Order: sequence, then structure tokens, then C-alpha cells
Amino acid sequence: MAVSVEYVTRETATNLWRNRLMTVAAVLTVAVSLSLVGVSLLLRQGVAQATTQWQNGVNVLVFLDAQPAAPAAPTAQQLTIQQQLLQLPYVKSCIYRDQAYDLAEAKRLLDPSAASVLTAGTTPASWRCVLSQPSEAQAVAKQFNRFPGVAQVQYPQKQIRTMETVVHVLDAVFLVLAVILLLSAAVLILNTIRLAIFARRREVSVMKLVGATNWFIRIPFMFEGIVQGLAGALVAVLVTVLLHVVLDHFAGHNATSLLYRMRTPAGDVAVTAVLVGMIGVVIGAAGSAIGIRRFLDA
Amino acid sequence: MPAVRAGSSPFRADTTMIRFENVTKTYKAGTVALNDVSVDIDKGEFVFLVGPSGSGKTTFMRLLLREEAPDQGRIWVAGREIAHLSPWRIPYLRRNIGCVFQDFRLLPTRTVFENVAFALEVIGRPRHVIDGQVPQVLDLVGLANKRDNLPGELSGGEQQRVAVARAFVNRPLLLIADEPTGNLDPATSQGIMRLLDRINRTGTTVVIATHDAGIVDQMRRRVIELHRGELVRDQARGVYGYGT
Ligand SMILES: Nc1ncnc2c1ncn2[C@@H]1O[C@H](COP(=O)(O)OP(=O)(O)OP(=O)(O)O)[C@@H](O)[C@H]1O
Ligand SMILES: [Mg+2]
Repeated sequence: MAVSVEYVTRETATNLWRNRLMTVAAVLTVAVSLSLVGVSLLLRQGVAQATTQWQNGVNVLVFLDAQPAAPAAPTAQQLTIQQQLLQLPYVKSCIYRDQAYDLAEAKRLLDPSAASVLTAGTTPASWRCVLSQPSEAQAVAKQFNRFPGVAQVQYPQKQIRTMETVVHVLDAVFLVLAVILLLSAAVLILNTIRLAIFARRREVSVMKLVGATNWFIRIPFMFEGIVQGLAGALVAVLVTVLLHVVLDHFAGHNATSLLYRMRTPAGDVAVTAVLVGMIGVVIGAAGSAIGIRRFLDA
Repeated sequence: MPAVRAGSSPFRADTTMIRFENVTKTYKAGTVALNDVSVDIDKGEFVFLVGPSGSGKTTFMRLLLREEAPDQGRIWVAGREIAHLSPWRIPYLRRNIGCVFQDFRLLPTRTVFENVAFALEVIGRPRHVIDGQVPQVLDLVGLANKRDNLPGELSGGEQQRVAVARAFVNRPLLLIADEPTGNLDPATSQGIMRLLDRINRTGTTVVIATHDAGIVDQMRRRVIELHRGELVRDQARGVYGYGT
């Protein structure tokens, strides 16, 4: 089936212009809802970034004296330390992260100038322990801080835990709002498409009469919905990227600030942008497809 | 009155354009619009479909276009059985059938040329084909000089000529017209009929549903008469007939 680009472009542009008010409403709704999606994705990435060390329920980090050879497996002394840790009743498990792993993680978490002096030979390996009672983390630290072969014991600051809960609540609220708004965006798009088809019902009936295929009739209208979804998504991508840039700016170079720890790599932001764009297209296509269905069934 | 022609002769796809075989159509409301109708129309024929209001003429047309499916019986158009056609094939069936209606069904915001071109454009014909075929068919219907006018600027007869041009521009095997002269005065009606006759002489099968007794009596072509959904007369070189 030959659908010419010229035909689709002309029909889509005419429809969009005829329904411009509805179009603007639909585009704005998509923009607002997808901005929420974008910001919430950005938040998630930031939190994941700030809490990398504490993922999988890790409550205590026991950093071990760095070995110049950077072995991939624990030394005999380090295994003894693990046994001692596990003897404590509230320590459930401890997994080993070698020096190379910790170096990679530090490079992500630290200020580039601080990270640049690190090498695998000078970065400590670590035991990462999960406690059955997280409140005992301080006790572990006290007991093992001066243990032979232990460089330092760390446990998450209260700050991080609070941030996690706050962000998770925000995240949930944003997502619920975004879903509601996305649904209304789809309904608005559906409505503009119905109006567009209704305005052209004569054309559509003649098209059917002379043997245009359903896809041929459908494509300009679907395209219209997709253009609306995509336009809204573009605005949302702009908002998200702008927010990222502004936050990055405020994060400055203070490695202890929360914002700084939440810095998200540009690559992750790009993934978010692409995701937001795709959701826009899907919403537009779905809205218009439903809007058209009734007219073509007859 | 001549014998009613039963559709029982052997089916020959190479010469038969339309074949209805014991077709019954009942609408949802329970109206039996066609009742056990069997009829053959050969390629190249010119046929009038007559009968009082509500006798099933439009239903006959809608079945041909597959706007409706029959409840019973089978229908062939150009050798293909269409009663059980899968929906995606319906557009391709319609590309073989041109149709004309009492109310013209032109697009008011498009010029004469664009209205005719539209029929080719939406079945994906390339620009050069459109630019070649549309002027030719506008010539045939005698509207070459009105190609850039809007339908609102034309008389009823001229509008119907545009509709005929649109129906014929794709060179269909079959042209059906449902009361094409219903809105026109006698002289204009004659002009439209002459045009349809001319199209018929290019080899296109033409079926016209009409209430226009004068024209049917004058043209003396095959007449098929429906009454309350039943085929009651099928007469070569017939007259309008009923009620007289
Ligand atoms: N869509 C429909 N739903 C229900 N009943 C219908 C429908 N279309 C037609 N009918 C009924 O079917 C019967 C045949 O109608 P049809 O339109 O085929 O008649 P017709 O011969 O074309 O009449 P006319 O000369 O007035 O155009 C009528 O009784 C009509 O009321
Ligand atoms: Mg009728």
C-alpha cells in the first residue's frame, strides 16, 4: 500500500491546525505528565547513585587494609575478620568486594580530583554486611574499627536513610500523578482525533466508498496523535534536562552534600529522555488508535 | 408478462459480472429487505433495478459493495464470492465498483479536479497517473472547463457529472447508481443517463436503481423489478411497468 509522505504531512498539518485549541491542551497535558515522569526517573537515578554502597540491604562496610597486589579473593587475615563478624548474633551475612570493585565505586562517588589519585593497589577491599538489627551498626563499628587488618568501618548516616524514605514517598506521589495525567492526556488526544475525524466524516465515507484501506484512512489521524504525544514529550525532555543541569550546578564540588552524591551521569539522563519520548509516542498512538476505531468499524 | 428469469444457469466466471444465489437479507429490526433473490448480470450489461419504495433496491447495492453481508445465499462479483469476504479485502472489492448516489456525495471544500483525483489518491495511485486520468475523465463527462470550480458553484446536473467522473476515473468493471437522477429535472436526467450509457459502451457493466419511469421506458434496457424484497420481474428490453 502506497501512502505518500506528502499526503500524510498535508492531512496531519490540516487536522492539527483545525483543532489547534484541543491540540494545545493535549500537548500541554502530555508535557506536564511526562515532566513528572522525567523528574521522578531522575530522582530514582539520583537516589540509586547516592546509595550505591548501601544497596541490597547492606548496613555496615568494613574496609580492609589495602594490599598492593590487589588480590581478587580475600586473604587469610581477611577471612578471619569475616568469621569474627559472623560470630556476632545480629550479623546475617558478609560479602566480599575486592579492591578493583571498590576503586570503580569510589570513582563514581568521589570528586574526580580526589578519585584520580586512587589506584587498585591503594583502594581498600571491603566486607559488606547485612545486619538483622540495623541499629547495631554502630556497635560493629566500635568493635572492629581498631581490629588488625581493618582500615575503617562505615555505616550509613541517618541523612541517607531519611533521604531514601522521603524520596520514595515523593517518587510514589509523582508516579501516581503522572499516571493519572498520562491517562487524561490519552483521553484528550483521543478526543482531538475524534473531533478531527468527525470534521472529516464526509471524506472518510468517500474514502471507504472508493476502496481506501483502513490503514490508509487511519495513518494521518494516528500521525496526528503521535505528533501531539511527541510534542508534549519534547517539552518534558527539556524540563527534565534543564532540571538536571540546574541541580548539577547547585551540587558544586562539595563531596559531602547530598545533591553532590545524587549527581547522575549524563548517559542516564539521556536514557530518561529517550524513555520519556517513547512514552509520549505510545500515548499519542494509543489515544488516536482508540479514537479512530469506532469510525472504521462501521 | 415475460417469465421470471431464474438464476439457475451454469455459472461462468468469464461472462458473469454479478450473481446473486438465493440471497436473503434481514435487517436487525426484523425487516426482510431481500427474500431469496437469485439473479445473474453479465459483463457489459446495462440494467435498471426498479420497484416501489422499500422494495430492496438500495439493499441490493449495499450488498454488492459489501456494506452489508447477506444472512443467506451467496453473491459473486467479477468471479469472486463476496458474502464471506474477509474485511481487509473489502477495499479491494470496492476498487472494482464505481458508485453514484442521489445526493452526489462530493467534498464541498475541494475543486472538481480534486474531488475526482481524491478517488485515485486515497487508493495510492501515483501523481502522474492522477494527472493523466483525471483530465481525461473530466473531458468524458464534459466538465473540463469547470475543473477548478467548487461543487457549490455547479448545477445539480454538473455535480452529478462530477460524481460519475469520480466513480469512473479508476475504470471500474462495474458502475452502480442508486437513483442518480432523483434530484434532477427531466432534461438533466436524460443527460446523466446518456453519460451512463456511454460509459456502458466502454464495456463497463452498469446497474441503475431508479424511479424514473420515463427514462426506463425510453431506453428499453433490461429491467429487474423487486417487490417487498422479492424478484418479481426480469425482462430484457423492459419497461418501468409496476403500478400501470
Ligand atoms: N439500515 C437499515 N436498518 C433497518 N432496516 C433497513 C435499513 N435499511 C433499509 N431498511 C429497510 O429495508 C427495506 C428495504 O430498504 P431499501 O432501502 O433497500 O429500499 P429501496 O428499494 O432502496 O427504497 P427507496 O426506493 O425508497 O430507496 C425497507 O423496509 C427499509 O425500511
Ligand atoms: Mg433506495
